[in-house]
Amino acid sequence: MKDFFRQNGILLVVIALLLSILIGVGSAFLGGNSDPLSNVFNAVTAPIRGGISAVTGWAEGVYTYVFHYGELHDELDQLRARVAELESEVRDGQEASRENEQLRELLALQARRRDFVFESARVTARSTSNWASTLTLSKGTSAGVEVGDCVITETGELVGVVSEAGLNWSTVSTVINTDIEMGGIVTRTHSAGILEGDFALMGEGRLKLSYLPDGAQLVSGDEVLTSGKGDVYPSGLVVGQVEGVFTDPSGMTRYAVVVPAVQFDSLIEVFVIKDFDIVE
Amino acid sequence: MTRRDLIHKWSVYALGLLIIWVLDAYILPRYPLLGVSPMLLPPALAAVAVLEGAYAGTGFGLAVGLLWELAYPGGFGALVIFMALAGMATGGLSQYALSQSLPGCLLCSAGVLALLDGLRVARGLITNAAELPALLQVALPECLLSLAWTPLVYLLFRSIYRRVGGTKLA
Repeated sequence: MKDFFRQNGILLVVIALLLSILIGVGSAFLGGNSDPLSNVFNAVTAPIRGGISAVTGWAEGVYTYVFHYGELHDELDQLRARVAELESEVRDGQEASRENEQLRELLALQARRRDFVFESARVTARSTSNWASTLTLSKGTSAGVEVGDCVITETGELVGVVSEAGLNWSTVSTVINTDIEMGGIVTRTHSAGILEGDFALMGEGRLKLSYLPDGAQLVSGDEVLTSGKGDVYPSGLVVGQVEGVFTDPSGMTRYAVVVPAVQFDSLIEVFVIKDFDIVE
Repeated sequence: MTRRDLIHKWSVYALGLLIIWVLDAYILPRYPLLGVSPMLLPPALAAVAVLEGAYAGTGFGLAVGLLWELAYPGGFGALVIFMALAGMATGGLSQYALSQSLPGCLLCSAGVLALLDGLRVARGLITNAAELPALLQVALPECLLSLAWTPLVYLLFRSIYRRVGGTKLA
């Protein structure tokens, strides 16, 4: 054997050199793809490598299971704790994302209505009576909330008016509550009326736009805003959409039934308008 | 009946009232039937007053009225005295005129509900909040739905009464 290598050594070197050149040239011409020789070799040996890898993996698994069971158990506990931590972070992230979205919307509203001074508050309870539609908020007089302040969503939709204010809580009469009475205007026709809650409509989650002008041609879907007349409530807050127009039982006036823009059941956070400019 | 027995008995009744309150304030309003949710506190008062009599009914009525005023928005104090008087009347009626049973409780409950909603309707008319038909449209379904819940409320308090009610702990 020794003689064989001594006699054919140069030949082997030459073959090795040729193979190197062949592979090098092949690689250069195939531009990033493996050369044919490597390709053939790897293709042939791939199943073998896969088999070896599977066997060693299984053996390693058995070894780890037998000799490192305690460590695995500890690691599993750590991973469980980590998963819980990550899930908590995801929840926080989703909450922050929702809040961020709300604040962006509010920022847009603030840009439109620079006169508004807001106080954010969480809805802590909803009314349980068939005689009133109210919400309880987490902010009260200590945060500057006063009776008569309007409450809106981040997009400027009117939720209601503060009807009672405690130190760190306040009660809001929603727009469908029967004690609500404010000026409203239909944006398309500029028809003004009085927005008011109604016992018959409150159960259906609707309110009235009463005392419509005779010539008002309202259609279903018309947007209704607060008019700001009387300078008690801000103007331009979205109240809802007209659902239908009816004649009063007296036959003297007409009124529109308005569907509020706000879904009261799904409110989480709202904004109290503590101050606004009165436009003469 | 010792002082301890008395405290035990009324603690269990308070627990029953707590269950009714959670149902009334937080669960049932989420599932209104035709836009109406029932009032469970008046039937609860009627049930306890029917089972325990006028004196206990007055005390329980006072507690129910206080809970109503404090835990629900928009109260102005009148419910405390109203519920105490209703408890007294209901307990007295059941002791001397009606029986301490479900029909007696249903009658008393109907009376308390009718009186309560009658006063609300009257207030609505006096303050010109709405026309009578509109007010009745709220009051009648509310009374009927609340009456429909009365047997369940009565069963809860009767099971409490059977364990700790009257002078059973004595």
